[in-house]
Order: sequence, then structure tokens, then C-alpha cells
Amino acid sequence: MAKAWEVRGMHPRIRFREAAGRVVLTRWREMMSYREGTLLGEDIEELHAMRVSSRRLRAAMDAFEPAFPRSSFRGHLRQVKEITDTLGDARDLDVAIDGYTGVLETADELERPAIEGLIARMRDARAAETVHIAALFQRLAAEEFAGRFEAYVAEHTGVVADRLDPRPPHHA
Amino acid sequence: MAKPARIRGLDPDRRLRPCARTILRVRIGEVYAYERAVLDPQNVTELHDMRIAFKRLRYLLEIFGIAFETDLEPFLEEVRTMQDLLGDIHDRDVQVPALAEHLDWLAARESELARALVHEQAAADAPADPDRAYHAFRARFEAGRRADERPGVHALIARRRRERDELYARFLEEWRRLRAGRFRERLEGALGTA
Repeated sequence: MAKAWEVRGMHPRIRFREAAGRVVLTRWREMMSYREGTLLGEDIEELHAMRVSSRRLRAAMDAFEPAFPRSSFRGHLRQVKEITDTLGDARDLDVAIDGYTGVLETADELERPAIEGLIARMRDARAAETVHIAALFQRLAAEEFAGRFEAYVAEHTGVVADRLDPRPPHHA
Repeated sequence: MAKPARIRGLDPDRRLRPCARTILRVRIGEVYAYERAVLDPQNVTELHDMRIAFKRLRYLLEIFGIAFETDLEPFLEEVRTMQDLLGDIHDRDVQVPALAEHLDWLAARESELARALVHEQAAADAPADPDRAYHAFRARFEAGRRADERPGVHALIARRRRERDELYARFLEEWRRLRAGRFRERLEGALGTA
């Protein structure tokens, strides 16, 4: 599993609001760093890493919700949830295909045709998910969600993403 | 899925530790809200909800760990174990209906195939020999209906059910061990008081 990016500037006496900005923006940039690889679709680990990061981001948003105005926060949370869910559907199929492929190695003559049939059906469903993911990120780009999200977090926490400049572990 | 309770009255301009303590106490309570229900293996929804509650708790311990003097990592390990076991149970609870649905899908394909063959035959000239027509129909039907997949799907369903029983037994053992080890009291103690 991809390692979580270190959150810069965290210390035991930090204020809740500032911690909110630092953690949420780090997790946001971490998730988006896997966007190109996920859309390319050549390595299923890229999508897996993006999915894991998106869950970390959602968890951070749940944890720090009290730092944001409730009404406007819900819309941003909903958008992140849509990303997590869309990636999750594809990831679930990757895991299932991988799992059944493993079972195939030890399957008896009875199970083999069933597993092969299941895998074929899941591969069709997985191809459709690739289209959904591409459409979602196209829409987010058209709506300039990334810029709006970072500005929103900065407005309510005082933490600016470009100044925080989150980096993967080997750059830290 | 049960939604997490809203945390009210928290001042975000306070330091992280008191806020984190308040949030964590609520989320610990949400895990234990299912302690009676999960003693029945048939309570699939409650087992799933407890998994989600453990997952939320795990992420919060990871996020807020820096705010506490006590190392929360040993608690995280225990939470991960429970989350993983409940996750494996949930996978089986999802896979069994999915396999049953696959059987329905195979049956639906079979009906479509039969209908298509009948329509095709009706459109053709009337067969001179009904027996030959029947055998031709049957050969094409058998070739297209994927009948050999069904016994295997039933075998997979049985395999997943067995695994689910074994996983639930392990979960129950771990859950009892956690309770006997006073996990909740130890964790709340580690968070300290205001």
C-alpha cells in the first residue's frame, strides 16, 4: 500500500483549525498525485494508491469537519465521496478479478468453468468503470474543483496549499 | 450504513488535543454500540456497521496520534485486526449474493438464447423431420448456454459460506479477547482527561 505523505508542520500544541488545513490539503494533493497514472490505466496499483489516498482524505475531512461551516462543507465532502466511490467500484473489480484468478490455480474441474465465466464478466464491468473514472475527472477539471477546493480550505484554516507544498515521503 | 454522530460544541480554535479527545470518545462509543448485535452471526448489517465504526476510529487514531503523549500505535494494531477480520466477513457477505446473482444472469442468458433460436427456426422453412429439427436446436442450445458453469458457482457459494463461518468464529474470539483486555478503558485512559 502506498505510504501516506508526511503532514508538514504538525506538532502536539497545534490548533485544531490549522491541523485541519495541513492534513486535508496534504491528503488532497497526495490523492491527486495519482490522477495521471490512474487515467493511464497501465498499472492497477496507481488506481489502488489513489483509492487509498482518497479514503485518507475522506477520513481527514470527517475528522476536521468542525473547522468548516457545515452548509458549505457538505458539498465538498460529497464531491470527495463521489471520487472515493467511483475509484472504489473499479478497485473492487480489480481485487475480485485478482482473487478469482488466484482461486483458479487451485480450482477443481467443477469450479474452473464457473470462475473463468465470472472473470470474463468482471473484466467487461471493469472496462466500463474506466470510462466512468475518465468522465468524472474530466468533469472535475471543467468545474475547476481542485482550485476551488484548495481556496475553500485556505479560507477557513489559513493554510495555503502552495505554501504548505506537500510532497511524497522520499521528497520530504 | 450508520452515519457518524455529529460532534457539537467543539471550538476549532482550541488546541488539537482536547478536540481530538472529544471526537475520539464519541467514535469509540460508536464501535461499542454494536457489541450486543455482533454476537449473532446473522446480523450482517450490524457487523458491517461495526467494521465502518472501527475504520473511522482507526483513521482518527492515525490523524490525531500526534496530539497525545501516549503512543497510540498498539491500539491502532488492535483496531486494524478487528477491521480486517470484519472486512473479510463483509467480503463473503457480499460475494455470496453476487454469486447467486451470477446464477440468475446465466439463467437469463439461457432464456434469451432459447428465444432467439426459436424465433430463428420459426422464420425458416418448416422442418421436414421434427426429430432432426429438435436435435439441431438442442445442439446449438447446449453449445451456447454455458451450463457447465453452474455447478461450479454452487461450489463457490458453499466455499464462501464455509470461509464466512470460520472468519466469524475468529472475529468472536478476537472481540472477546479485546473486551477481556479492557480495550475501551485502556484507550480512553490513554486519551487522558481535560
